Amino acid sequence: MHFITTRGRLLAAVLAGALAPAMLAGPVKAAEQDDQIYTFFQLDQNEYRLSDGDDAYAWEAQGWAGTDYDKLAFKTTGEQVIDGGLETAELQVLYSRLVTDFFDAQIGVRYDFEPDPERAFAVIGLQGLAPQFFEVDTALFISEDGDVSARFEAEYELLITQRLILQPSAELNVAVQEVEKYGTGSGPTDIELGLRLRYEITREFAPYIGVNYERDLFDTADFTRDEGGDVDAVSFVAGVRIFF
Amino acid sequence: MNGEQKIMGRRHPSSHGRALSKSLAVVGVASALLGALPSLAATYDLTIGKTKVNITGKESTALTVNGTLPGPTLRFKEGEDLVINVTNTLDVDSSIHWHGLILPAAQDGVPGLSFDGIEPGTTFTYRFPAQQSGTYWFHSHSGLQEQAGVYGSIVIEPQNREPFRYDRDYVVVLSDWHDTRPEAILANLKKQSDYYNYDQRTLMSFFDDAATNGLDATLADRLAWGGMRMTPTDIADISGYTFLVNGKSPAQNWTGLFEPGERVRLRFINASAMTYFDVRVPGLEMTVVQADGNNVQPVNVDEFRIAVAETYDVILRPTEDKAYTIVAEPMARTGLARATLAPREGMAGPVPAQRKRPLLTMADMGSGAMAGMDHNQMPQDDAAPAAEAPMSGMDHAAMGHTAMANGAMANGAMPAADGARQDPFYAPGSGLLPTAANGGKFLSYADLKAQKPLFEDRPATREIEVRLTGNMERYIWSINGKKYSAADPIRLQYGERVRFKFVNETMMTHPMHLHGMWSLLDNGSGKWNPIKHTVSIAPGTTVYTEVEVDAPGKWAFHCHLLYHMATGMFREVIVEGGPQTAQAN
Amino acid sequence: MPVQFSKTFVAAFAVAALSGAGAALAAASHDSGQDAGEAAAHGHSDALPFGEVGLAAEADRTIEIAMKDNYFEPEALEIRAGETVRFVIRNGGEFLHEFNIGTSDLHRAHQNEMKAMMESGIMTATGMNPDMPNMAHSAMDMSGHAHDDPNSVLVEPGTTRELVWKFAAATDLKFACNVPGHYESGMMGDIRFVKPAQADS
Repeated sequence: MHFITTRGRLLAAVLAGALAPAMLAGPVKAAEQDDQIYTFFQLDQNEYRLSDGDDAYAWEAQGWAGTDYDKLAFKTTGEQVIDGGLETAELQVLYSRLVTDFFDAQIGVRYDFEPDPERAFAVIGLQGLAPQFFEVDTALFISEDGDVSARFEAEYELLITQRLILQPSAELNVAVQEVEKYGTGSGPTDIELGLRLRYEITREFAPYIGVNYERDLFDTADFTRDEGGDVDAVSFVAGVRIFF
Repeated sequence: MNGEQKIMGRRHPSSHGRALSKSLAVVGVASALLGALPSLAATYDLTIGKTKVNITGKESTALTVNGTLPGPTLRFKEGEDLVINVTNTLDVDSSIHWHGLILPAAQDGVPGLSFDGIEPGTTFTYRFPAQQSGTYWFHSHSGLQEQAGVYGSIVIEPQNREPFRYDRDYVVVLSDWHDTRPEAILANLKKQSDYYNYDQRTLMSFFDDAATNGLDATLADRLAWGGMRMTPTDIADISGYTFLVNGKSPAQNWTGLFEPGERVRLRFINASAMTYFDVRVPGLEMTVVQADGNNVQPVNVDEFRIAVAETYDVILRPTEDKAYTIVAEPMARTGLARATLAPREGMAGPVPAQRKRPLLTMADMGSGAMAGMDHNQMPQDDAAPAAEAPMSGMDHAAMGHTAMANGAMANGAMPAADGARQDPFYAPGSGLLPTAANGGKFLSYADLKAQKPLFEDRPATREIEVRLTGNMERYIWSINGKKYSAADPIRLQYGERVRFKFVNETMMTHPMHLHGMWSLLDNGSGKWNPIKHTVSIAPGTTVYTEVEVDAPGKWAFHCHLLYHMATGMFREVIVEGGPQTAQAN
Repeated sequence: MPVQFSKTFVAAFAVAALSGAGAALAAASHDSGQDAGEAAAHGHSDALPFGEVGLAAEADRTIEIAMKDNYFEPEALEIRAGETVRFVIRNGGEFLHEFNIGTSDLHRAHQNEMKAMMESGIMTATGMNPDMPNMAHSAMDMSGHAHDDPNSVLVEPGTTRELVWKFAAATDLKFACNVPGHYESGMMGDIRFVKPAQADS
């Protein structure tokens, strides 16, 4: 499992370097306190996916270190098939700037360790809370080969009780160009829908169960079929959401 | 004089406040006369340190003054010169601020403004005269130490007879305790601003509301709040507090003794970091005689709301030989502070059930509209408005009413006494408007009238607009859209009288505290406007205060909700000109 | 009737204030046949179980009472059963005060009336409101009562008034100012009945 490559190591170093000052921030005078550095890490998906013999571990995490307005952020997501290898693994490192009360503009890089071959992207995005409490995250990616794609993510937290929370989520990926090497067509490439029910024992620790559905779309689905893969997959998931 | 004698009898024979401190054996409050000085002088020693406490059943570390939570009651006498040695045994800087005391700027205890703070292992000596009387308090002004326990009470005995009588005198310090370190609380709020809100509306409450109000109305309501990305349950930022009376939890039940027929003076001090309390003593009427250390024309109430950092002195007349419960319910109804007045130790009265929590209404969101519709003379501050004004779901009917009420208040009109529930210090239709538990009289700011004006009543020389602003979602609090670290100081000229116009554009209630100078709350009483150090501004309202600028130097001006202050709702006020008394010492 | 009465009352005040000394006016107005008749119409009379309005000429002694904001000097009185006392009451404060002799129950009842007068605007913290005859009317309708008790005088700031009271048998009495908040915060005192030898004269 060649998770960390040279370029990946470089990114990790950049990230660690940015987080370090935050760890050193000590107590300060009240008068100076309003511009402190805080850190945040959330493993939103940290789950076992039960799916027709292709069981997998999947994660989706994000975090930041910074002040109210300026942050260094990272996002990572990926999936490892239990009996196979790492299917997808992506890391984004972004400068995140609060531009309205509810939204951060983000710019940075994305690195895909999987699928092979590894790829780097430039990222520009907008993340925040839309009216009616939809958490949205949108980003435009330009790969090192000049291919352009976009991702739209939205999720909602439906409080059944104060601690029992149903979280529907949706993700849509769209590509401008067809990239045969990665089996993606132009136009909408794939969609992922999730429904997770978590119980917040504490804010920091919330076990959950749910269902996840992925489907390749249009030309991308055709590529997948041509390679003999499944264009869609339903999995039942169980995991623990972690926050600190 | 019967009553007076009893009070004196409880004191040390020397009858002096310093002696009392000693007789109470409040650790480390030593006393000594500075023989050389003709006037009274007293020396106090305070030590800030760490103390193990167990308030919730779990051991935790408090930061304390002289080893107790709260710290000692300092009893000064009006006119005496005070020398207070404060030793910091913590491993970080500390400070003590004398809340509400009029003193030279260098003695005010705000690190970065008054002085550099007290470094670990060092002692700072405060020297200032006690030039006022009444009930006050002190607390650390460093970091979030106040939340962790660095606070105590101050009672300054007046030179002259007070305009009221009592047989017993108790300090009642209300506070909020959290086992979580305050720095961790703030970090949690920065990461997730509703981290501590376990009172949110849920699917269950949606069904309940739909059953009561109908599906359409409930949906419309949810969409209106959703449109603003706000929640009506956002009354307090932090939950999980244990509420204390003189450091005692409800179970520990602090008890003050009385004999039936006596007048009991209770000096309520809200030393909480974040909690407003609604205070009552079921079965007893309370006569409010002092607010923020200044005597007010006595007003009989059944219940009152005490903002963070305010003080109210009330007189009770328990006549029956039974235990009365002092009930202080946090505004968000997230618990209860409880204590007892009883003829004998060990007695307890009934503890009422916690009342239903309030819900904010669209009226509480109306501030933006009011700011725009307020026909006051000053031009709008050109500071950038919040990028996303929380107005998308505004109810226009509510806006109209709000503007009207605001105009009425500016004209000094008093609330109608027709029994209709209204209060000019809450937005009409506000969900926060309090009601007395027994259906009786709930104190309003409109009821507060100075017993004796402190200053000649004169027109203000100018008006300064102070918009209370914030970003709830990211837990950023500000004034005129700017955090302290990004803002210029407010400059005042010595000798002027400034009118502050507070416009609350947030959905939280903010207790605004100006150091060094009194704030005359304009409640329409003219020369009798009450004299305060902390003025609470409810959401959706505009409140005016006037300040006689009579204290040169650098002063702090901030929201006294600790985490609002810490995250930017703070300004430096510089009073230019005037005698350089601060440096003279 | 109530309107007329209240006007009489307010007028008495105005005169009292103008004359400065004003002393006997209140007592005089209480004593006048007209007033007595009106008081009777309201169910009052100048006689109460613990005493009655007396004549200045028959006073056994004079006690001076100083009104301050908000307390009396002295804060307790010693009285002989059956004696007639001329109280000369000077309001040296800035607020309206009352001197009222009564039992705790009477004071409590009177506090409610004063509260209604304050809330209706007929009375303010500093004096009676001369601009509110209509309000006075409605206040009276509301409370069924104006400030017409024989055992009481209202004293506006800077004025002096008199009350002559003939005490009956010893009983539990207090003197008090029932302006809202004043009694409660201590503007009251005990009337102790003493044997003739003990009382100062």
